Amino acid sequence: MEVKPIITFPRWGNYTIAFKTLFEKLGLEVIPPGEINSQTILEGAKLSPEMFCFPLKTTLGSYIPALKKGANTILMVENIGGSCRQRYYGTIQSKVLKEGGWEINVVNFRATPRGIYSDLKKISGASFLEIFRAGRFFYKKLRLIEKIEKQAQYLRPRELEKGATDKALDWALLEIERVNEEKNFSRSKKEISRKFSEIKIKNAKNLPKVGLIGEIYTVCDPVINFGLERKLGKEGIEIHRQMDITYHLKKSIFPWQERLLQRKISPYLKSTVGGHGRDAIYEMLNYVKQGFDGVIQILPAMCMPEVTIRPILEKIHQKSGIPFLSLSIDEQVAEAGIDTRIEAFVDVIKNHHKNI
Amino acid sequence: MKTYLGIDVGSISYKFVLIDEKNEVLFWLYKRTEGNPIGAIQQGLRELRKFIKNHNTEIKIDGVASTGSARYLAGVVSGADLIKNEITTHARAVSSFIPDAKTVIEIGGQDSKIIILENKVAVDFAMNLICSAGTGAFLDAQAYRLGVPVEKFGELALSSKTPTVIGSRCSVFAESDMIHKQQIGHKIEDIVAGLCQGLARNYLSGVGKGKRIKPPIIFLGGVSENLGMRRAFEKALDQKIVVPFYNTVMGALGAALLIKEISPAQTKFRGFEVSEKDIRCASFQCRGCPNQCEVIEARIDGKIIARWGDRCAKWSNLNPA
Repeated sequence: MEVKPIITFPRWGNYTIAFKTLFEKLGLEVIPPGEINSQTILEGAKLSPEMFCFPLKTTLGSYIPALKKGANTILMVENIGGSCRQRYYGTIQSKVLKEGGWEINVVNFRATPRGIYSDLKKISGASFLEIFRAGRFFYKKLRLIEKIEKQAQYLRPRELEKGATDKALDWALLEIERVNEEKNFSRSKKEISRKFSEIKIKNAKNLPKVGLIGEIYTVCDPVINFGLERKLGKEGIEIHRQMDITYHLKKSIFPWQERLLQRKISPYLKSTVGGHGRDAIYEMLNYVKQGFDGVIQILPAMCMPEVTIRPILEKIHQKSGIPFLSLSIDEQVAEAGIDTRIEAFVDVIKNHHKNI
Repeated sequence: MKTYLGIDVGSISYKFVLIDEKNEVLFWLYKRTEGNPIGAIQQGLRELRKFIKNHNTEIKIDGVASTGSARYLAGVVSGADLIKNEITTHARAVSSFIPDAKTVIEIGGQDSKIIILENKVAVDFAMNLICSAGTGAFLDAQAYRLGVPVEKFGELALSSKTPTVIGSRCSVFAESDMIHKQQIGHKIEDIVAGLCQGLARNYLSGVGKGKRIKPPIIFLGGVSENLGMRRAFEKALDQKIVVPFYNTVMGALGAALLIKEISPAQTKFRGFEVSEKDIRCASFQCRGCPNQCEVIEARIDGKIIARWGDRCAKWSNLNPA
């Protein structure tokens, strides 16, 4: 007997909202994944192989609440070509969940435009037009989320009323989640941009700037990285982050970008190391060139590409003198330890900023 | 007389330093926390009060700063004007006492760090990530196991002529390696010396990895009292190691210097009476949202004085100003 698929998918920071819309618009029944918190991380880590990377554990944990509510199909992305262990997430999660007694089906998406299209078609049975529309709405939501994240990075160190930016951001995310018709979207978008423009800011031109680089999942998810952007913003530091889904999608659509990237980092690394290893080097070199006051690399513990390039980043840091901090995150890491490092790093950044 | 107090509460020990306006240290203490940080802070305040009563009743405290891993707790209990991380405070103290210092090695009870200084400012630092091998707590445990008082540990290490090689990647394996070396008949001083060398190696390949360690190198923290560790670092780095006076209380000293620079118009210091009051801390899990933060609540004589640990500031916003 064919069971009707009830979909869940890995939680990924604020982007979760956009993915939920995508699957819903394809006419699928969706139960969104649970929030990442100590409970879900614990459950994920219990099921996972100990030596696997942290995102496998957190995403696995995020399925559990949805599975308990009746979801039976998990959609997991599989990055192909010069990638990392992320490629095996779907396979491993399927295996450990089945061993844990869950009757589920894991669908592995190949993260290429054609792969996404054919896989979406297979599970949903939607027509080309429906997939196109769902994809368009998804992309609109995604772009808006990424845009307001960037706005918040700019506004936080400048806001006059402490916490106003995050209040607006939280409200905007709820609003984006609430809109379920594409025709109402532009009105919400206007409303959101009005809310952001109402935030009163001080005129500050010369703020210390920090670039965030590292593994895409940990860098983008504010829950996983202990609200790093908020914490630094509160300290009056402007954050820049290039890594997001659009960046990643663009790279898979325009394959020559990879070659251009390689050319720019050739003095440091001659081949790919998987994941976004090369991108991190490139971004750091860029931040040095633009005269930033610091670079923070965030990586999940055991992340092979990021661990491989860390010595290179250290070298760039020593050659250029730009302050550099590498934060490795997993279920064993206590927020207190991360906070101590961030606090000390903020002092280093501010000294650096003062002295130039 | 204007004075400033720095309080450093760490995992194993707590330190108090009182300085005057000329950066002269008037009073300092270094004692074991013994698993009771609140009691430790109260005890420290009692001793400071006794000192003031016996020596100079003119002393007035104009600013308090707390540091160390229990800096929030210490800050709340004492009413600190400044709560600062231990890296910045150490860097601050070193740069004012040894202005040309380039590298600071600090090994405390449960963490070890390296700070790189340039022109009296910290430009780079690192802390041990997941491994606490080589920190004070481990040396303590080994001294106890070998039946040697930890204060004698260093002297014993220095008396060794042929240190035994001890594997020291991980403290658990180091311990089993030590037991093994004892069982096959190595002398105890050779084992102790070998352990010190292993731990110095471990520190340099872990915390100090990729850092430019340039002289003058300053060695601080509880472990810097250990002569064997000093020797081991000198050997491993082939450099002179400087252990300044106040090596164990540098963090508290730095905190005091920092608050002196700020010199608040009106200190929030709760006064010495707080050492006689009933202070309790409790934690609860906030169920307000899926983040489920652990919120800590501190009470003095039953009255809530502060809450912290929440990400959204729902509870900490309720703190009385």
